[in-house]
Amino acid sequence: MAEAIATTPLPTLEPFKGVKKVPLGEYFTSGHRTCQGCESALVMRLMVKAAGPRTIVLGSTGCMYVANTTYYSTSWVVPWMHTQLGSSGSAGLGTAAALRALMRKGKLPTEPINVIAFCGDGGGADMGLSAISAALTHTEYNFLILLYDNESYANTDIQLSGLTPYGAHTTFSPPGTAKRILHQRWKKNVAGMLAAGHPSCRYVATVCASYAVEMMNRVRKALSIGGPTFIHSLDPCPKGWDYDPMLSHELGELAVECGIWPLYEVEDHKLKLYGRTKGIAQGRSKRRPVRDYLVRQGRFAHFTDDDIDYFQAKVDEMWERWIIPGVIPFASEITNGRSPD
Amino acid sequence: MATHSVEVVYRGIFQKTLAKNITRGIVLAAVKQGKIGIAFGRYGDSPERNGIPAKNFAIVADNEEELQASMAQYEPKSVDLTVALDDTLCKGVESWAWYGLQPINRLTRPGGYLLVTTMLDFADLLQMAHAREQPYHLALVRGLPSFSGLWVYKDDHTDVRVLGAVSRLLPDLVSLEAVEAAIRQEWKSEQKVASARKAYERVEVMAVAPGVGDRRRPYEFELPRWWELREGVTIPAIVPGEAFPDPTTGAVGGWRPARNPYFKKFSTRTMRPVIDFEACIKCTLCWLQCPDSCFDVTPDGYYDANMEACCGCGVCEAVCPVDNCITMVNEAAFTNNDSQWAAWKRDREAYRAWVREKIQHRPERSHGFQQRGQYERQIREMAAAAVGGPAVRERTGG
Ligand SMILES: Cc1ncc(C[n+]2csc(CCOP(=O)(O)OP(=O)(O)O)c2C)c(N)n1
Ligand code: SF4
Ligand code: SF4
Ligand code: SF4
Repeated sequence: MAEAIATTPLPTLEPFKGVKKVPLGEYFTSGHRTCQGCESALVMRLMVKAAGPRTIVLGSTGCMYVANTTYYSTSWVVPWMHTQLGSSGSAGLGTAAALRALMRKGKLPTEPINVIAFCGDGGGADMGLSAISAALTHTEYNFLILLYDNESYANTDIQLSGLTPYGAHTTFSPPGTAKRILHQRWKKNVAGMLAAGHPSCRYVATVCASYAVEMMNRVRKALSIGGPTFIHSLDPCPKGWDYDPMLSHELGELAVECGIWPLYEVEDHKLKLYGRTKGIAQGRSKRRPVRDYLVRQGRFAHFTDDDIDYFQAKVDEMWERWIIPGVIPFASEITNGRSPD
Repeated sequence: MATHSVEVVYRGIFQKTLAKNITRGIVLAAVKQGKIGIAFGRYGDSPERNGIPAKNFAIVADNEEELQASMAQYEPKSVDLTVALDDTLCKGVESWAWYGLQPINRLTRPGGYLLVTTMLDFADLLQMAHAREQPYHLALVRGLPSFSGLWVYKDDHTDVRVLGAVSRLLPDLVSLEAVEAAIRQEWKSEQKVASARKAYERVEVMAVAPGVGDRRRPYEFELPRWWELREGVTIPAIVPGEAFPDPTTGAVGGWRPARNPYFKKFSTRTMRPVIDFEACIKCTLCWLQCPDSCFDVTPDGYYDANMEACCGCGVCEAVCPVDNCITMVNEAAFTNNDSQWAAWKRDREAYRAWVREKIQHRPERSHGFQQRGQYERQIREMAAAAVGGPAVRERTGG
């Protein structure tokens, strides 16, 4: 009888040292029917490029399922399976458990196979959150859950989600004359919440595909560290955010430079800011005004200067008072004035 | 006794509101004349994606019975008028959902009309539109194709100008008077009425004889039938791709990803990247940031945008650090999807001249919303150019 294995073997995935070291092979290729300039499609491509060919991808319903696998046509090179809108956590956990069982029974050779379950913000931050939370407590299984956040239920034509930013125009929050700002809630902090709330989860990170190599290296770390892990990616969406598709890359950069989307990772409970966010936190570069980000998007076209000021004040507050937005108090209060590293 | 049908082919999301305004406007105008009608979008085209072709229909009948009879069809098999809201759609239409590639004039009935909003000439459009066995008419409304997005509508009067042209081409469907009355009711704007009338007067028409147009067979491919699918309705993955040979040196290297055989991006583009390989510093950014895995990495380390995969988003131009190394050019300027890199390898001098010529190409295109206030500015510029454009007065001029 095959020897019982405690867990499936982990791959060795060293970080890519620069863009020239990124492999040429594609495991998510053309043929998808996403919008022109869809950043989420880029996230899929970079995510699986970072993971490599020995990978199984599980996709929760949403644009990245529907537009990528329509009418018998797929853009995946690696095995891919559709899973229900709220089930990325269960699908990731179940697939990792199945692989372990097959390896234990000797039906599969004992070798590293990456399991990645992805979900949109609707599927991940709203209805799928409980399954993700449950999955992150099962430390004996190795898998990654990647939340690609286009800030709406994009596939069903842009409904508001728990991650839609304040004031944005969606089909559920059209600006009107009586009420210009219909959506008044501030975006949830999913990565921070999951990092703080799951002490046995070894890796949680935020990423943005405009910083492609850094993003891929976060995926590689998540897949090789062991146990269940979580990555939250902010994805500009030309359809829902209403902008010229050629701006996708720039808007990702602006979200980070304006401090709206802080880049950080929590590895073995140690918080690290990285990339531009680290530079801003250490005072090496300045945060850009959120106006630069907002005026390029039709979903904020109804904003007055007061609305922009309010948005800026909320982002300032986040930077002045919080390290992990909404979760851990700001550095000065716990590190005696040292900025976080 | 008559039923008329009109299809409006448009760029998904960018022209969603525009297409809806036109089909609704046709029906409202017909109602003014005591007819009955319905406007609807093609079911399979929802959810729409930016830039991917989609269709709306307007069906108008003399009475309810006739309308019901035509509505019993899933969608019209033949239309009196095809409206193409973007001239590059003349190269063919493949929608978001599965319909395969269709020539733009496939549903246009013999003797019917294809109406295009364009700054191009008849000859340019006929080079793109597929030849037919039956005669039809090509009609032009002058103007830059109007693009906006999901929330902000660029009201440059394209909707009413198309309505004015429709009343000229199909007077049996709606009269200009009915169109004017519908515009007054719906938009309450005399400027829009004036724009419709101007388009009515200025629409240009040409009879197209059988066999005139692009004579190449539209590309085609077959989906597997349901009974051919494997157990569990599994679909074979795409194969990874491979290194490939340099046509001049024979050296093998680089990487060309395999591409989905069932969905090519030819019909989703309004622009495409033109690459000056001599300016390229091989920084990899275009390759790295392209969401559609378009770039073949060539054996000599260049990045060749593969036109099977490119949807024309323009991200590569936006990220390329070298000026004029990647330039997005109006898709109407191209007649094939061949490799630019192979052309450059074959004859650098000729390629240099080709790039120079292409990047001069006009009219320039834009993909919609880039900055608050942009549409207001553009509409004023279009009015100033006044090629049947909206009669918008300077705000300060009252
Ligand atoms: C349980 C369930 N409810 C509703 C739907 C319909 N539906 C399909 S895709 C989708 C939107 C998903 O949004 P999100 O998770 O944010 O992904 P996105 O479309 O933005 O990529 C919805 C509501 C569904 N498939 N399953
Ligand atoms: S709606 Fe947004 S996420 Fe969906 S395909 Fe389009 S750009 Fe991508
Ligand atoms: S325009 Fe450029 S970035 Fe966009 S799909 Fe084409 S090659 Fe890729
Ligand atoms: S982005 Fe421009 S310079 Fe860089 S590799 Fe591509 S074409 Fe060359």
